[in-house]
Amino acid sequence: MNEQRGGMSTGKIALIAVIAIVLLVVFGAFGTYNSLVKNKEEVNGQWANIETQLQRRSDLIPNLVNTVKGYAAHETEVMTAVSDARAKLAGAGTVAEKAEANNELNSALSRLLLVVENYPNLKADTQYTALMDELAGTENRIAVARKDYNGAVQTYNQKTKTFPTVIFANMFGFKEAEYFQAQDGAETAPTVNFGV
Amino acid sequence: MKKLKKFSIFIAALAMLFSFACAAIPSPTNNFYVNDFAGVLSNNTKQYIMSQSVELQKQTKAQIVVSTVSSLDGQDLDSYSINMARSYNIGDANENNGVLILLAPNERKVKIEVGYGLEGAINDAKAGRILDNAGVPYFKDNKWDEGIIEVYKSVLAETYKEYGLDVPEDINPLYTDNVNSENPLRKKGIIEIIIFILIVIFFIISIRFNSHRGGGGFYGGGGFGGGSSGGFGGGGGFGRGGGFSGGGGGFGGGGGGRSF
Repeated sequence: MNEQRGGMSTGKIALIAVIAIVLLVVFGAFGTYNSLVKNKEEVNGQWANIETQLQRRSDLIPNLVNTVKGYAAHETEVMTAVSDARAKLAGAGTVAEKAEANNELNSALSRLLLVVENYPNLKADTQYTALMDELAGTENRIAVARKDYNGAVQTYNQKTKTFPTVIFANMFGFKEAEYFQAQDGAETAPTVNFGV
Repeated sequence: MKKLKKFSIFIAALAMLFSFACAAIPSPTNNFYVNDFAGVLSNNTKQYIMSQSVELQKQTKAQIVVSTVSSLDGQDLDSYSINMARSYNIGDANENNGVLILLAPNERKVKIEVGYGLEGAINDAKAGRILDNAGVPYFKDNKWDEGIIEVYKSVLAETYKEYGLDVPEDINPLYTDNVNSENPLRKKGIIEIIIFILIVIFFIISIRFNSHRGGGGFYGGGGFGGGSSGGFGGGGGFGRGGGFSGGGGGFGGGGGGRSF
């Protein structure tokens, strides 16, 4: 009788243990899944910030080109380069493409700034100064957004690659996120010197 | 393999950037609104900024902080100032209405870092103009006190305006918003005057027309919406025990900087 009860209770204990482990795994999976979603959303949110600023920059460029044209109409080559780079940015889809197009736009703009050095009247134009301030501010915002985005990607990727989250990440199809790569030496936006 | 190496270098650089960001920024002083680490400001200036910023915070929850640093520790101005603005939590957490005025007299650089919530009131172009008009002329002659006061007053005035409040008369900033011809409020005013004139003309015509016909009422031209920018009642500042601190406002890199 006693033995039987003892036997039953071992069975019960085993059953409870199994249920407990299953529950632990299931709840663990819930928690992991939710935290992965949260991190992924953070990455998406930061990416949206970058896109907003890239768009803002694209919107500023036609105004800038027009203002420069007013003083330096024959500098067509560099202005075409800026317009082309802008068009390329608009057509870019993936993170890598956007990063590349953005870098191209950076270098085209730096060349434009070099050209502008030869036109003191343009540099003194209030409209030009205002546009360049907006552009410099936007470039700085892009730099900040990129840093925030890469930080979020780092957290997310670390999670998807380390044990035990890696199991669930693979199970639920959480793919690795892409870093927004800066051009070598493009960590800081091209500085605008107003010669003050 | 090459890609992996590149990637690991990138990660290392990123990690370095982060550790840099944390290590280099000195903690705010107890005064919070004035942090003269470079020791270039007079006591009068510090007191003035302190009292004005406390008052502004009471009325609008906005926080304007002035910092001077003897070195940017090898960071560029933009990175340093956003790191400082974020680590100090300048501005209200919901309104993100913080501004940091950062002066690095040895590197000869100055920056106005604007929180998300005030990017409309002090856009990048305006930040640049404020520095050009009110700051740089003094900074070029090493007149740190005068330059900081003038830049500070200009930022203060723009912030009061953003909240639909009158700028206290004694502020009298050097920079005024006269360059900005596309001020939306001003534009709206002209449109309203035109609409008003049209309504008056319509009114006169319709009276004449009606009296000529000798009867009938006339329909009055509808009222037009007032263009009052919605100022909201300044909620009372909540007293924190002890010193002052940041409210947790967010920054995204708005504002403008100058080398001089």
